[in-house]
Amino acid sequence: MAGKASSSQTSVGGLGSGAVSHVFIHYPPLRCNIPGSRGFYYDDGNKLLISPTSDQVFSWKTVPFSPNAAPNIDSITEGPICSIRFSLDEKLIAVQRSNTSIDFLHRETGEVFTHRCKSESESILGFFWTDCPSCDIVVVKISGLDLFAYDHASKSLALVETKKMNVSWYVYTHESRLVLLASGMQCKSFHGFQLSSAGIIRLPKFEMVMAKPEANSKPVLASEDVYIVTVYGRIYCLQVDRVAMVLHSYRFYRDAIIQQGSLPIYSSKVAVSVVDNVLLVHQVDAKVVILYDIFSDSRAPISAPLPVLLRGFSRSDSFTSRPSTKESESLQASDSNDNESIVYGDGWTFLAISASSSEIPSVLEFLQRRKLEANKAKQLCLAIMQTMILECRPITMVAKAMDVLVTSYAHSLKTGTYFKGIKTERTPSSVSNVSGSGQVIDVNTGRTDGLGKSLQRESAPRVNSVSASDTEDSSSLEPSKISSNDTQFDGGKVDIGAESCTTGNPLNASVSDQQESQLTSPAISPDEMYKFVFAPIEEEMIGEPSYLVAIILELFRSANLEKVKVHPNLFVLTIQLLARSEQYAELGLFVINKIIEPSKEVALQLLESGRQNFQIRKLGSDMMRQLSLHQDYVLLLVQDGYYLEALRYARKHKVTTIRPSLFLEAAFTSNDSQHLAAVLRFFSDFIPGFRSTSDFFTYYHILNEMNSSSVVA
Amino acid sequence: MSSSLLILNHQLTITSSTYDSKFFFQTKPKSSRSPSLVTEDLRSFISKFYTVHSTNSASFMGLSSIGTASDGMQLCIFDLRRGQHEGQELDKILYFFPADLPFSTQLSVIGLSEGLITFTRIFSPEAACEVIEAERHSHVFYEAEPDIWMVMIVEKSKESEAIWRIDALREVLKEIHSLFVMFHGSIRALLEREPSGGLTRAHLYPFIMDYLRDFLIGKKLQLPSFRDCLMERRSVQMLTVGREAAIEVQTLVRILESSAGNLPCFSLILFQDLLVSTTLSPEDTINLFKYAVLRLTPLALSSGAKSWSYLRRGNSSSHVSIGSTLPSTGSVSEQFYGSHDASPAGDNRYHVTRPLQHDKWFKGKDGFLITDIWGGDIGSLNVTTPTVWLHQTEERMYLCAYQYKSLTIILLIPLSSILNGDQGVSILKQQLLENASLKILKVEEKLSKGWGGENAYHVSGYRYLLVDGNRDISRASPPTKVTTLSKESLLALNRLREEVDAEKSRAKWDNPGREKDLEVCIRAKNNAWAVARITGGKELYMVLEKANETLLYASDAVEKFSNRYCSGTFSLD
Repeated sequence: MAGKASSSQTSVGGLGSGAVSHVFIHYPPLRCNIPGSRGFYYDDGNKLLISPTSDQVFSWKTVPFSPNAAPNIDSITEGPICSIRFSLDEKLIAVQRSNTSIDFLHRETGEVFTHRCKSESESILGFFWTDCPSCDIVVVKISGLDLFAYDHASKSLALVETKKMNVSWYVYTHESRLVLLASGMQCKSFHGFQLSSAGIIRLPKFEMVMAKPEANSKPVLASEDVYIVTVYGRIYCLQVDRVAMVLHSYRFYRDAIIQQGSLPIYSSKVAVSVVDNVLLVHQVDAKVVILYDIFSDSRAPISAPLPVLLRGFSRSDSFTSRPSTKESESLQASDSNDNESIVYGDGWTFLAISASSSEIPSVLEFLQRRKLEANKAKQLCLAIMQTMILECRPITMVAKAMDVLVTSYAHSLKTGTYFKGIKTERTPSSVSNVSGSGQVIDVNTGRTDGLGKSLQRESAPRVNSVSASDTEDSSSLEPSKISSNDTQFDGGKVDIGAESCTTGNPLNASVSDQQESQLTSPAISPDEMYKFVFAPIEEEMIGEPSYLVAIILELFRSANLEKVKVHPNLFVLTIQLLARSEQYAELGLFVINKIIEPSKEVALQLLESGRQNFQIRKLGSDMMRQLSLHQDYVLLLVQDGYYLEALRYARKHKVTTIRPSLFLEAAFTSNDSQHLAAVLRFFSDFIPGFRSTSDFFTYYHILNEMNSSSVVA
Repeated sequence: MSSSLLILNHQLTITSSTYDSKFFFQTKPKSSRSPSLVTEDLRSFISKFYTVHSTNSASFMGLSSIGTASDGMQLCIFDLRRGQHEGQELDKILYFFPADLPFSTQLSVIGLSEGLITFTRIFSPEAACEVIEAERHSHVFYEAEPDIWMVMIVEKSKESEAIWRIDALREVLKEIHSLFVMFHGSIRALLEREPSGGLTRAHLYPFIMDYLRDFLIGKKLQLPSFRDCLMERRSVQMLTVGREAAIEVQTLVRILESSAGNLPCFSLILFQDLLVSTTLSPEDTINLFKYAVLRLTPLALSSGAKSWSYLRRGNSSSHVSIGSTLPSTGSVSEQFYGSHDASPAGDNRYHVTRPLQHDKWFKGKDGFLITDIWGGDIGSLNVTTPTVWLHQTEERMYLCAYQYKSLTIILLIPLSSILNGDQGVSILKQQLLENASLKILKVEEKLSKGWGGENAYHVSGYRYLLVDGNRDISRASPPTKVTTLSKESLLALNRLREEVDAEKSRAKWDNPGREKDLEVCIRAKNNAWAVARITGGKELYMVLEKANETLLYASDAVEKFSNRYCSGTFSLD
């Protein structure tokens, strides 16, 4: 919980609250004591942490993460273990025993069958389960891919398809459903396949860029240097070029692979991960993490480099051995002599980071793209907005910020995430804790020797991150659009798929947090903008009415561009502000040009503010009339002494609800017997039975008195 | 001499058979004065009358012969507080047009006016004489400042074009005065600065001459006549904009004002010759708008094609100096008025700026409009920034005008808030460009897209004038369309407007602060309908030449117009 405190504090305090840009390891860690453990594996298809012993498999669900959860235990036959993965329905456990055989264990029945390569010359590099409709498991061999379907009846694998090619090594992530197969002398030629529930897509062959240290030497690309990452539903590949000390990025399209540019690296050892669509580049030797938001065009980090620290853990240096921080939770296995493992998860919270940045509109943009802790991001956005206004930042900057928020809201309306968030908030029970977009574990096994030496992974292809739940096809390949708006997040089908991931509850969230954070989108509606930004600062901003009006105008402008309605109280507030500073000319223009949209509240406020200015009052009464608020308009006319006009209007628009005595009283106060007689006559003619009412007698009497007195005079 | 006095319905009519003239003036209703007192006052009035005329040795009848030199128009400004002793009468004359008239004649005109003012003040101390209708002349009075009067005398010539609406002429006087005050401050203040009056005369003379030049058509002064009855002088014409454009404009306004830092400043934005936005008070808006339309807008700047407004047709010939039209033989009067039209400012005893001078504004490379009217050298771009005096804040302001395509932006910054004068202004201009130029581009584009052209506000079948008296805004059929109306129709509407003017001024006295609803339809000789509807301070005047069937038809047409273009304001029942 220690780590959490800082971020929630930040979200309240807004800017300048001394936000700390730090990453904390979760506490308490997962502790386990497994005698004879052969290390840890992470199964990204099922989000399982797996620790096999010679005859048993211990597995922990990592989503949701609970440090006290007891592991599931399955028995397996003894033998070497190269890699281990559960089938996607978790009914089978596949254990790669050697480079020629894989054992399959049926968990319920305990039955085991073994799959072997046909020829001795073939060597298995690894395997993974897939939700592709035609097959269930893919085995990667040096000669290519074998796609198998599992036959429940015969409990055996049936070969579906073979893809022949030379493979030196491969990388696969379940999140992207993408497998990249390296080949060639330098291992820099790649074949790629995406095996998703939508089918199999073969990517065009491509080459990665590698700088040459000298004329004759040709560096070989290692599998550790290639990462598949999924950001905002797009699939990228990041490649470490150790010679040039850069991290190249490539974006995958359905029919093309396009290099996107490079990021500098400052360490010969680099690891890459993604949390909440933010790219984390761990510079291992430099002991820092640099964060990038590759959505925006700029290649600049979104914050200063973050130090890698362990909190509440005395041997902090052990962490630096390998920054295994992957996604929102990172596990560290510290293998002590007594076989006790301590696993830590760390909660990445970007809110604090963003609050410390100075380029506010881009910060808001960044925050608006947060999916984890959407509520916190939202609170922070509101706080930032409020602070900006209170500090009277330049209008152009606030305008940009306003644009960001309104555009984001409009976008969330279009994609439905805004309402989805609202809905889940209303029916919290429906939110299952199944998935966490981007709650992933990376396992680091082996001995940390406490000296901070980097540690190689033990065997097995590197496990990688997952962010989508099983039911979703979280990312797919878009057709390439090599155009200027390529960087636009255009809400296409692909994006929706990725965006609509159910919110993952941060593991450390308190109960109340959990409920709030079921918002899927940090988008801010105009109502919230009014309630949480303008209404609270209204009082404080009294001294700066014209500044506040300028800000409100900017909101109107953005809202109008995005066809979003603003809160009607903002119109009323605008009138109050303009009237208070006696800017009646502007107020008139605002009303006439419908910048202030007509409504009854607006009309009433105009009448109220018009006490000091006749023209403004006039605008209010005109608005009443134009809105067909007949009764109010008639009352207004009577109040202002235009009772004859009121009568005429009442008759035309059939307003019958106003008491005749009001008109008669007004006619009487004007001291004009002719008018009084006319009003009396009007009611006598048009209201049946009026002649027998007390009103009639009273005023008839008064009229007679008036007439007789004028005759005498 | 036989004269009769008639007091009817608060209107005093003096008919004098000797002078063959009729005086009308409004008296304040419910005057507390007793009838006996009136008779006595009248006696003193008549005796004063005689005094004036005997001292100037000019007969009252001579009035009619005065105007011949100047197309039958005379214009004078005098101060009742000056020249009250015999021999000092000349002191009271601050301005006289035509200036070459003998002083005796000038004095006789002013003497008559003064006499009438003094007399009518007896009955109506707060609003003295407004107009004298003589057989061949109309005398239009306007008290510009306390005791400072402007009088315009127009000849009712035989040719029928010379039919005026008195209120329209008074509007000219008001406009002259308020524009003058905007640039030079009040006349009283000038008189106090230099009690001899020379300074005031030196300012008034070139100013009014420059102003009148706009009315020159050929060599004739063409004052607003019945042909201009579908326009309202002292009002602004606005561009109708959509909500989106309006928001853009207003955000631009904020940016403009914020680029002046924390200084309180004002802005005015025009598109073509139409107002888009103002942050000034109505009074100041009218004046600056007028000045902008006269001298600053792209149309005013391009001297070749002056304007599509028929009101200023033939203005391209404005190089004809007033002097040539009005032979300035009397060197006496030139010395008297201190300034000569042809001579550049500052040539005389007084340094006089002439803000209404023609062809003196240019668009600079940076988009700002520059002029050397206020001094400096246009070639070296080292010019003094113009200043104006605002009615609302009673403060002198720098005037910065910026133009981009059809968009003209006027920014007013208080003199007091810029310490280092012109240098400070140029820094401000720089800031303005930095902050607002993108926005200006955007706004211009938006407005151009929505701009319906010169005839945007034409409604076919209708010739109309819409005046919002509450906000001093008017809109009318485009002038080119108005010229298609027959003379009879225009005369009928002119007549109707005179009636309405009278009705309005009566209502103003009868029931101050209350608005009167009014509807008048008259049928002209050519069967056209002239319609006036007034409700809630808004006025609609209309000529329907084709709606000649019935009154009902005409009324329907007005109703339709009202519902469609005035959001039902004039739909009575």
